[in-house]
Amino acid sequence: MTRTSSQARSGRHRRPDRHRLTAVRAGLLAVAVVAGTIALVDRPDDAARAVPVATPPAPVVLGSPTAVPAARTVATPAGLRIEAIGLDTDLTRIGVDAAGALVPPADFEQAGWFAAGPAPGEVGPAVLAGHVDDRRGPGVFFRLEELAPGDRVEVTRGDGEVLDFAVTRVAAYLKDDFATEEVYGPTTGAELRLITCGGTFDRTRRSYTDNVVVYAQLT
Amino acid sequence: MPRPTRAPLLALLCAGLLALGVPVATGAAAAPAVSGTEGLVRMMHLSPDTPSVDAYIDSVSDPDVGVVLPAVTYGDVSPYQVVPAGTYTVSARAAGADPASPPVLASTVTVAPGTATTIAGVGYFADLGFAVLSDDLTLPPAGQARARVVNAASTGAPLDLTLAGGTSLATDLPFAESTDYVDVPGGAGTLTLTGSTGEPTELPVDLAAGSVYTVLVLDRDGGGLTVTSVLDAASPGVVPVGGVEAGAGGTAVDEGLPVGRSALAVLALTALALAVGVRLPRRGRTPRHLAS
Repeated sequence: MTRTSSQARSGRHRRPDRHRLTAVRAGLLAVAVVAGTIALVDRPDDAARAVPVATPPAPVVLGSPTAVPAARTVATPAGLRIEAIGLDTDLTRIGVDAAGALVPPADFEQAGWFAAGPAPGEVGPAVLAGHVDDRRGPGVFFRLEELAPGDRVEVTRGDGEVLDFAVTRVAAYLKDDFATEEVYGPTTGAELRLITCGGTFDRTRRSYTDNVVVYAQLT
Repeated sequence: MPRPTRAPLLALLCAGLLALGVPVATGAAAAPAVSGTEGLVRMMHLSPDTPSVDAYIDSVSDPDVGVVLPAVTYGDVSPYQVVPAGTYTVSARAAGADPASPPVLASTVTVAPGTATTIAGVGYFADLGFAVLSDDLTLPPAGQARARVVNAASTGAPLDLTLAGGTSLATDLPFAESTDYVDVPGGAGTLTLTGSTGEPTELPVDLAAGSVYTVLVLDRDGGGLTVTSVLDAASPGVVPVGGVEAGAGGTAVDEGLPVGRSALAVLALTALALAVGVRLPRRGRTPRHLAS
């Protein structure tokens, strides 16, 4: 078969591309080998890591109730709405367990307000926590880490008033090195801390490695 | 299907690398802290015989950056202002005076990033000065509040202030002076103030755990003293310990790998096929122009 002129032209253009094409194919081959190896090899031996088996979270035990001024019932938050991630949930009260750890609501579809801390709208960081997922699928705060500075967060109070907050930043912390002072430290104005899990799920401990914390300020 | 060109292969290579957890391009994981280059500053008027003033906080380096606090009167505490870190000229003029007119009082203050500063006009008008106070707004010890006292009252000095339970907030505090911060047990209690007359006065006070206060002692209209607890900053009265268990893994993929095992197997086979150059049979490859 005689070469047509178009075939001759494409042959000339192809020569410099061929080197790069070969390099890409070599890369693909490397990816294939590595991916295939991982897919075939057993899981890494957990015993080598000597990770202690974590105890499941203790049941929620609220400390002896402190006297709450009557005015507080008006400020109690009732609902949370974040349009940017399609979130609209009511808020239940949550507390800490016997070890002092914050315990999210038992209902994975509901967010909770830490009642021993400031209420949204009061001076200080109001703490709202919710599950990122349950055993089968997404939880109420599944999309929390998608938030970006400027996103609007609405909290509706028990008296019907709506408070507008704006996200200032989204941070992630290792649970084993949680930035307590940064997350819960004093603020001069009304702020929010929205907390859920993130990072990698450690199946031996049945726990995510990180906490995702969204910071927001009253606008 | 046309023979795969470079671009789609490159895309697949990137996807493959990402699947193995190799960062192809650095993406933003978490947004950086907003307040890294800013500080907080506020002003207090604590001079009993100085009339109402307009206070100015002007950046030395940037003429467009500044705060004006109009008509600040004895006992007023402005809200904290967020300002870029840097050096500022702080000045006071009679309320309503022309901003271009010479100030009654001026000073230079440096605002460091991440800090909070109070600038207080203190003393009698005749020797008015700016006290520049560093505000410690960090988390107090568990169950405690943090408080300091400023004596801005023209009568009764020197003052003793003590909390029920024995914690001393101020001892022999002269007029126009302030104390260092003290950690105190959080909660409602009684503050005992003893002035130069020696007669103690008891006042109810609520210094909530986790919060920071500046206690001001001021002249009261009609005689006597007023004690005001200014809330500088607040945090939860009970601070949770450690992280939060808020997930059960229902949406997690296999640990250590961004994609599942079977997806990796498919990727491996596909990448191998493309690397070797296997082409799917396609229509149109049959030469149309055969030599007859």
